[in-house]
Amino acid sequence: MSVVLLVLEDALWSALAALGFAMLFNAPRRALPACVLAGALGHGLRYGVMHGLGASLVASSLLGALAVGFLARWCAVRLKMPAIVFAVVGVIPMVPGAYAFRTMIGVLQIAGGIMEDSTTLTQVMTQTVQNGVITALILAALAMGISVPTMIFQRQKPVV
Amino acid sequence: MAEMIEAVIDDDHPHKPPMEREELRDVISLSLWAGQMLLQNGADSQKVEETVHRLGTQLGCDWMDVVVLYDSIIATTLNNREFRTKARRAPGRGVNLEKIVQINDLSYQAMRGELDRFVLRRELRRIDKLSPNYGRWTVVLFVGLACAAFARLFGGDLAAMTITFLAAAIGMAIRQQMALAYFNPILTTIVTAFVASLVASVGVLLKLGAQPAVAISAAVLLLVPGVPLINASEDLLNGQIINGLARGTWGLILSLAIALGIAMTLWLTGIKIAL
Repeated sequence: MSVVLLVLEDALWSALAALGFAMLFNAPRRALPACVLAGALGHGLRYGVMHGLGASLVASSLLGALAVGFLARWCAVRLKMPAIVFAVVGVIPMVPGAYAFRTMIGVLQIAGGIMEDSTTLTQVMTQTVQNGVITALILAALAMGISVPTMIFQRQKPVV
Repeated sequence: MAEMIEAVIDDDHPHKPPMEREELRDVISLSLWAGQMLLQNGADSQKVEETVHRLGTQLGCDWMDVVVLYDSIIATTLNNREFRTKARRAPGRGVNLEKIVQINDLSYQAMRGELDRFVLRRELRRIDKLSPNYGRWTVVLFVGLACAAFARLFGGDLAAMTITFLAAAIGMAIRQQMALAYFNPILTTIVTAFVASLVASVGVLLKLGAQPAVAISAAVLLLVPGVPLINASEDLLNGQIINGLARGTWGLILSLAIALGIAMTLWLTGIKIAL
């Protein structure tokens, strides 16, 4: 399959993930299409940049979150709702659940001393620290990405 | 004495007509109520502060100083020489975007001058009692589908997706039931993570499909504290350091609760997962 088709498939599943979380967060019904679009755009873009251009996961997450942030601002103006609605749901598919999971499993393995035959404790520890750092960096990138549009467009004198 | 009074009046914010003491009390109570609902339903600290300030000043106060803490808000309203201070607790953390949107609308209505304190009270009362937009089982269905989609994104096949759907849907139903019974959120997270990962581990035990272990990681994703963690980072970026740290800590505690639930499943089933 070409990269384009893979990106489209990725975007489709991300859209479904975003829809479920939009409902979990009780998003307004008329915000649902924009929420789903934001989820598909962010994760799809991240996948495309990673597999098409070979960028790192963290850098691609930042790009994806930036796209979500700008789309959220545009939707906020169009639909007269706070941007946070679209931004939060939009980055949910990119939240590093798999890395957080692997970090937790690694911590449990360190605690229990349960290793796969071929790996040593040092390898498990290195891998776990790496997974933890990636988790934290992706989260920071997501927050940064959705905050930048606000920092650019909302520069009025603070009310408080 | 005369100098002190002079100092109070000669500050740098605009002066509005004097308000009755009772009116001032209403304004501070109502703006704090709006702030409380924002804080409890997933808004970041700056949004809470801005909204309370806007509502207070638009409803007739000269100025309003707002302190947003992790689980409470303190505000002082000024009007001529009169001021009133009130603290309001806002414990508990949920996410309800509908309420955030509606309170945001109210703050814009106030800025356009379309809102007085009587309308504001009626509207806040209505928003407080809003029933969810989606039925309980609809949420269970779509959260299950969302986690199945995550299983696919993690490289799972149809078998892993099906098991993830079942595990996540059962987990979501349990989470709702425990929330309705006012169980502690940490306990709710541990139990939900345990049950969801236990159901998902059936695929590993029966060796269904090529990558059955994916289901265990995808099925617990409905619990990931995405909103606390994103709000934490946003607060930190906005200079709300203490609130950011507090929210981040809460997100971390919930993540550890998920880990504990999964660990219980792994101990019980003896499943070993390669990193």
